[in-house]
Amino acid sequence: MAFPLLSLIVFMPAAGAAVLMLLRNDDQVRWTALGVTVLDFALCIVMLAGFDTTTHEMQFTETRPWVPALGITYALGIDGISALFVFLTALLGWICVLASWVAIDRKVKEFMVSLLVMQTLMLGVFCALDLFLFYVFWEAMLIPMYVIIGVWGGDGRVYAAFKFFLYTLAGSLLFLIGVIVLYFHGGETFDILALTEQDLPFGVQSWLFFAFLIAFAVKVPMVPVHTWLPDAHVQAPTAGSIVLAAVLLKMGAYGFLRFSLSMLPEASMHYSTLMLALSALAIVYGGLLALAQDDLKKLVAYSSISHMGFVTLGIFTLNLRGLEGGILQMFNHGVTTGALFLFVGLIYERTHTRSIADYGGLMKAAPVYTAFLALFTLSSMALPGTNSFVGELLVLSGAFAANLAAGAAAVLGALLGAAYLLGMYRKVALGPASVGARFKIRDVNARELAAILPLAVFVLWVGLYPKPFLNIIGPSVRHLLTQVHSYGGGQ
Amino acid sequence: MTAAALFQSILASLPEIVVVAGACILLILGQLVRKGQGHFLVSASVAIVLIAALGTLMLAGEVRPAYTGMFIADRFAGFFKGVFYLATILTFLLSRKYTEIEKIGSSEYYVMLLFALSGMMIMASATDLLSIYVGLELMALSTYVLTGFLRRERRSNEASLKYVILGGVSTGIFLYGVSLVYGITGTTQLDGMAAAVTGDPLDPGLLLAVVFIVAGLVFKVGAVPFHMWVPDVYEGAPTTITAFMSVAPKAAGFAVILRVFLNPLVAASDAWIIVAVIAVATMALGSFVALVQDNFKRLLAYSSIAHAGFALFGVVAGGADGIASVMLYLLIYAFMNLGIFAAVIMMRNGDFSGEVIEDYAGLAKSHPGLALLMLLYLFSLAGIPPTAGFFAKFYVLVALVERGFVMLAVIAVLLSAVAAYFYIRIVMVIYMREPEPEGAFDPALTPSVRATLAITAAGTIGIGLFPAWFLRLAQHSVFGG
Repeated sequence: MAFPLLSLIVFMPAAGAAVLMLLRNDDQVRWTALGVTVLDFALCIVMLAGFDTTTHEMQFTETRPWVPALGITYALGIDGISALFVFLTALLGWICVLASWVAIDRKVKEFMVSLLVMQTLMLGVFCALDLFLFYVFWEAMLIPMYVIIGVWGGDGRVYAAFKFFLYTLAGSLLFLIGVIVLYFHGGETFDILALTEQDLPFGVQSWLFFAFLIAFAVKVPMVPVHTWLPDAHVQAPTAGSIVLAAVLLKMGAYGFLRFSLSMLPEASMHYSTLMLALSALAIVYGGLLALAQDDLKKLVAYSSISHMGFVTLGIFTLNLRGLEGGILQMFNHGVTTGALFLFVGLIYERTHTRSIADYGGLMKAAPVYTAFLALFTLSSMALPGTNSFVGELLVLSGAFAANLAAGAAAVLGALLGAAYLLGMYRKVALGPASVGARFKIRDVNARELAAILPLAVFVLWVGLYPKPFLNIIGPSVRHLLTQVHSYGGGQ
Repeated sequence: MTAAALFQSILASLPEIVVVAGACILLILGQLVRKGQGHFLVSASVAIVLIAALGTLMLAGEVRPAYTGMFIADRFAGFFKGVFYLATILTFLLSRKYTEIEKIGSSEYYVMLLFALSGMMIMASATDLLSIYVGLELMALSTYVLTGFLRRERRSNEASLKYVILGGVSTGIFLYGVSLVYGITGTTQLDGMAAAVTGDPLDPGLLLAVVFIVAGLVFKVGAVPFHMWVPDVYEGAPTTITAFMSVAPKAAGFAVILRVFLNPLVAASDAWIIVAVIAVATMALGSFVALVQDNFKRLLAYSSIAHAGFALFGVVAGGADGIASVMLYLLIYAFMNLGIFAAVIMMRNGDFSGEVIEDYAGLAKSHPGLALLMLLYLFSLAGIPPTAGFFAKFYVLVALVERGFVMLAVIAVLLSAVAAYFYIRIVMVIYMREPEPEGAFDPALTPSVRATLAITAAGTIGIGLFPAWFLRLAQHSVFGG
């Protein structure tokens, strides 16, 4: 058997967490956590270097029996779609550690342990090739995330943590029933690849589609089950927000790709108009809500809903450009929104206010900070040359091909995005320096810059030369589309 | 009965004989032991249980019917006896310090526990309604006494009295059902009953008999509508006894329910509809009422009602997987529930009762390790992976869906989402509240309590991560196999 590289990548953070438990000194804890996450990222690069971009087949696969009596295996593997998100998760791992360096000043060890355990579970979700294993990773994530929000969060943290926990739990429990039903219909196996080969009757597919929809829609989140998101984001510590926005939300969309589309192709085709409508609603509604926010974090949170609407819109266009755009947009949203939450966190550490009205003229006090903020703001509104432009353009062209009204709504959402993002930037960065008088603001230091720079690199790299990224996902997306259309009855 | 048959019977029931004889010897020896020699009682009791466990292990190889069809030593009984041994030994370990603090450390306490154990063992092995009754009463009478062991406390006395009266009524109902069965079929043997019925399985007399027997049995597992005794008894009894009762007698009740219910006669009478209704009502009541409890023991009482409801879903599913799922559920429940009770019991030290949930505010600050263990048990009770509690629920759901009861499975998971709320509320109190400035925690972390915590934690996380062996054990122990 080949070297279990994926297992190593997935479980290294957890092993690091175990080591952290033995340490006593806060600085040791921070450096160890950073070391582990950077090493994990390095391994991830090694893995990508050996990744074959010409095939849609699962790579780096590992299979071991786990619970043979129920056909459960420990199976890991990645294709182009999951590779992108494994990379994103590993990248944000050490950025989160850097973002919490001084922001977390009590129970540092416990925080880093939770963060690293979280990292393992997130990587596991993207690598799992067994539904049971996937579910274990998916659901176990509730524990560290609940603790991260509830212990290190803001004033309303307890409420937010509960809301997050119960929403997600209720959604995923129905998913669990769906998984078990699928298990019996698919010949008593939890093997994801074997299950995608099944041709289930349409009635079963419909039920499963809605059971899955509830779980994934809560995670994405789609309107109307999005209400946990603003609370969780606003109350979570910066690293928690980054993880939530950059990785956790992707899991819902990943679930649609991996399960709904490939296992339930007929139902996915049949209900795609409904999904397009829900996505368009999320884009416009999220944008309108973001327009009305005074709290920086809330604004970014609602913009997340809008942007994730683009992702689901792209996925359910069920054509090549839409899907590629949707997946690329998942990555872009991870980078850009992760960065925006990081920026909100950085400024909050200095001023302890998130109200936009308290800010103004930050340009003079912190020029480097505002320059990068400008970059990420422009990226978030999809200015040409930035990453989101490529993604949104693909999504829009896919959307117009699939459904004119959905495309039109998406354009409206993009306009709204420009309005609230530019408005935010104007109030915070430009104008008279009202904020300098009240707070002593220092510009970003080297540690903070180390967290920001890689994200900025990806903004421009994907924006100017997206080919390598599209190459990675290309074969898998095309394979996915053939699956959908061959079982779903042609285009 | 020939001498050889008698010898075979004695051999098959050797573990029971060891426990009963050991209890009698301990009763006499206990009078000679001076005050403050509690550790002798604990080690002697644990030794007796271990010898019995060894006996069960040696007998596990084959099926041994005994006492002319009244009793059987098979793998099914062996599995349940394993759960009883585990629960009893852990209760002994927890009792050492607790009985000292509560001043109830007399030898009778340990002897009664051993008698309760022997009663449960007989229940697990019984194949005749009468031997079931004997085991049931032996267990019940012992637990009535144990419930009232805090003699100076009103709550404990009240609980004991309530338990005796309600328990007596339920036993009467059970016996009435047995007499009806005898009247209709002319036998009380489980195997004989099915063969004796030639007519319509939906005979109203038979249905009535089944309903009475069901009522008597679900009382023991604390299912709705016979759950009223549970909160009061759990709250009033010494906490160690509550821990014991929430696991072992409940498992014994399920052992009998499984044996009776999967009998072809009962299976033909559509009794599963009754059980399904009971299961849904039990889980709903347990989960919703637990939401508003402030007392930890009361909350755990309702939580145990909810768990009984979930396990009953496995009975509804029936079949090999259904039975195995109930068995695995009870084993896992023993680990996680005794774990959380161990944490509550050790809090009882000095003036600190540890019975109110708010008492635990900020525990994570001063005792991070203990808090982490409680978090583990609570998330396991809530059924979140990768803990064992998740796998227990998962397997019950698999059994349900396998039989086509998808709607029941959906109800079960939605109710367990409700139940998750009150478990994570305790986690919230432990982790997210500031501790009282003057109220320093002083848990009684004796070596035996540490051992209990280690065993239960290992079970809770170990079965969660590596369920394969335990799953196979449960599947192989389904009777017939």
